[in-house]
Amino acid sequence: MSWLANLSKTYDNHTDAIGNFEKKRNGREYALIPISHTTQSAHIEVILNGKGEFLRAKVIEKEEGSTIIPCTEAAASRTSAPVPYPLFDKLMYVAGDYEQYVGEVKKHTPHANYLEQLRTWCTSAYSNRKVESVYQYLQKGTLIADLVEYKVLWTDMQGKLLDKWVQEEGDESKEKPAIFKVIASDQSSAFVRFAVQIPGDTEPRLWRDREVQQSFIDFYNEQLAETDLCYVTGEQLPYADKHASRIRNSGDKTKLISANDSSGFTFRGRFRTSRDAASVSYEVSQKAHNALKWLIDRQSFTLDGKVFLVWGTDRLEVPDPAEDLFDYLKEEEDDSSAGDMAHREHALEVRKALSGFRYDGEYKSNVVIMTLDAATPGRLSIVYYRDMNRELFMNQLQHWHETCFWRHRYRKNENDKYVAFTGAPATKDIAFAAYGSRASDKVVKGLLERMLPCIVDGRPIPIDIVRSAISRASNPVGMEPWEWEKTLSIACALVNKTKEKEGFRVSLNKQLDDRNYLFGRMLAIADVLERRALGREEKRATNAVRYMNAFAQRPGRTWSIIQSNLQPYQARMGTDARYYNGLLDEVGSMLKPEDFTDAPLSGLYLLGFYSQRHDLYTKKDKGDTTQGQDSEQDNDQDDTEE
Amino acid sequence: MRNQIEFEVSGKYALFTDPLTKIGGEKFSYQVPTYQALKGIVESIYWKPTIIWYIHEVRIMNVIQTESKGIRPIEYNGGNTLAYYTYLKDVKYRVRAYFDFNPHREDLVYDRNENKHHNIAKRSVQAGGRRDIFLGTRECQGYVEPCDFNEGKGFYDEVPEVDFGHMVHGISYPDETGRPERETRLWPVKMERGIIRFIRPEACELTRKTGEGVAKIFGSENMESVDQLHEELFAEGEKA
Repeated sequence: MSWLANLSKTYDNHTDAIGNFEKKRNGREYALIPISHTTQSAHIEVILNGKGEFLRAKVIEKEEGSTIIPCTEAAASRTSAPVPYPLFDKLMYVAGDYEQYVGEVKKHTPHANYLEQLRTWCTSAYSNRKVESVYQYLQKGTLIADLVEYKVLWTDMQGKLLDKWVQEEGDESKEKPAIFKVIASDQSSAFVRFAVQIPGDTEPRLWRDREVQQSFIDFYNEQLAETDLCYVTGEQLPYADKHASRIRNSGDKTKLISANDSSGFTFRGRFRTSRDAASVSYEVSQKAHNALKWLIDRQSFTLDGKVFLVWGTDRLEVPDPAEDLFDYLKEEEDDSSAGDMAHREHALEVRKALSGFRYDGEYKSNVVIMTLDAATPGRLSIVYYRDMNRELFMNQLQHWHETCFWRHRYRKNENDKYVAFTGAPATKDIAFAAYGSRASDKVVKGLLERMLPCIVDGRPIPIDIVRSAISRASNPVGMEPWEWEKTLSIACALVNKTKEKEGFRVSLNKQLDDRNYLFGRMLAIADVLERRALGREEKRATNAVRYMNAFAQRPGRTWSIIQSNLQPYQARMGTDARYYNGLLDEVGSMLKPEDFTDAPLSGLYLLGFYSQRHDLYTKKDKGDTTQGQDSEQDNDQDDTEE
Repeated sequence: MRNQIEFEVSGKYALFTDPLTKIGGEKFSYQVPTYQALKGIVESIYWKPTIIWYIHEVRIMNVIQTESKGIRPIEYNGGNTLAYYTYLKDVKYRVRAYFDFNPHREDLVYDRNENKHHNIAKRSVQAGGRRDIFLGTRECQGYVEPCDFNEGKGFYDEVPEVDFGHMVHGISYPDETGRPERETRLWPVKMERGIIRFIRPEACELTRKTGEGVAKIFGSENMESVDQLHEELFAEGEKA
């Protein structure tokens, strides 16, 4: 379905969530906003009684300021010319005594416009008792006076509103009034919301009252006279003249649907007005944009302005394709020989991890993946869109996690300890493996978008990404040990994915006589041998690691250097080195003579390296008994700080 | 069906712009081609004013995927601008189309020879079309090949139904309707087992007037005959 239709369907499927505030991780509140409404941060709350009399007022804490306010199309896109919101607004609009306290308002009559608009609502068939109380009170025009008297607003010597609070010298007793803490500019721009207390009524807060909201929706709907054919629903409906901005966040001016062709040629030529080119109904536009904002607040990931969003139209919760399954997969015991997990077993783990997201009867249910970004400050663009069957989505995701996997040791468990897990790396980690941890957000967000089709459509991973990760993993000297280990295991996962058909596993394949794989194994043996000879205290890099980059480029020549550098260590270990020497001979003999050349190694050698090293560090019971004091954990993760 | 041709059209990218995103300038493609886009492709393969092409059905062969590109559109008043266009990626469609004679071209009655036009059309498909083929927009080059509509494996063959909601069907022009106005047609699109079966333009119930105009008249005043041109090009005595 089209993106607008999907969004408006999501809205219809979640009507029970309308107006319910939930808290984001950073403490900010968000909600699915009813149509014809928007949100604003209010600064002052005025409490009235049913007869329209002032009871009290207070300054609202920043965290509680989020307020759902009724909103007309004209008000939603107001700029310098004042257009009042229908119910809650700034002092300039709601206070009749504004000029008296602040100064003359030139050219415009915001308060009169506001009252007129409110009057139309109150005299319409859709009026609401509580809204009438507000109208009654505001007609008196004593709002600022009441607020000053109630010590919410503050005046100076001339009886005007204070521009800013100046602490009197020597008078430390007076604390800064609350209003100056919540408002950035001066008091006159304070935003006011109203509550009306009526005995027997449970919801005095007008901005949370569903009846008040519905009364405005009905009232406003009647005002929208002009109908047109809606391009989304195909019905004759009231036409939306302007569409929502502030989609990504409250400071965002970009719009998904906009029309401005007085100079360029976006639609002119065939059509004279934007209305000729396309039209959307007010209801669909409102529903879709409100649903989108809600989803972005709820479950999106944003990087450098690019929004990544995945949701189910029926059930919102969907596993994020960009994440690894660490939190769902079983962690491996640290010192056991897990990690040799057979492929079937790994597949089973993945299936189990994803099973929580699968539901019965999802044949008709869909998952939408949407990425938004803006090239210029005014317009938002859908840069990736995929609407797919939920079942298919889950299968693709499962396939991804089953094929692009390796054994990683860079995630921490709840005890803040590094633990190993076998699975696909998160896309963000792939970005850092390919471009380094200091890669700019711009580069990373590009990669995130390019990886999406690899995951959800099973496309091959772009070769430049794989190559870049391989060459970074081949250069351990340039990185901290922990970073190299992370890069290495991610590069292995990517290589493994590109060799999907061969089905490599973390456990060592002793039969494979591929040249790259064998060279990788030899490098790993040299590394482990030297590491062991160096002992636990010695932290410096081994020759094998230092020469890794050159080895990948010219394995034949570099191997003879590594081998000659290895001799002193073999000598130092004496008979202890026997096992390693034997292993080296064994692997060496598998290498065909014609393969022992200087031709550069493919990424496969990383798999040979990792698997052989892992094998040597974990299989303590096999082989000779003299080894086994060291383990992988000691040397790769001791000095690990991110 | 009578006067029918079948062909496969494919391309690396396609952009069947969703009109809602076109007016702002950040073009975003519809998920599937519109009737009008396919009609344009068929008209690029072979067209004469005598005939009107109708699209019978289209089969979506590849999975529907999008990819965006940063574009620098032409600013007619100078200066720079940037936009993201979102294209369909790796598209392949199999199309069945047929033609009827244009009843509004009385002046071309003598040209209404079914077999002639049908054979030319079939030969044109064999040749990959007479003109450049575009998938929605000029920058998306497409390639036409003859094919058997039902052959091959399509990605959506096993998917019983996909609902695309309302989409633009096409635009009716005066030369084909006889009415002095331009109309945009909408229709609800459903894909069944990978196939979208189009309704005829006159069967679209959702139409809106989006401009006016008249069919251009062609006659001796604004057309030059071949003989006249020949005279001009090859002066007396020269034989071409």
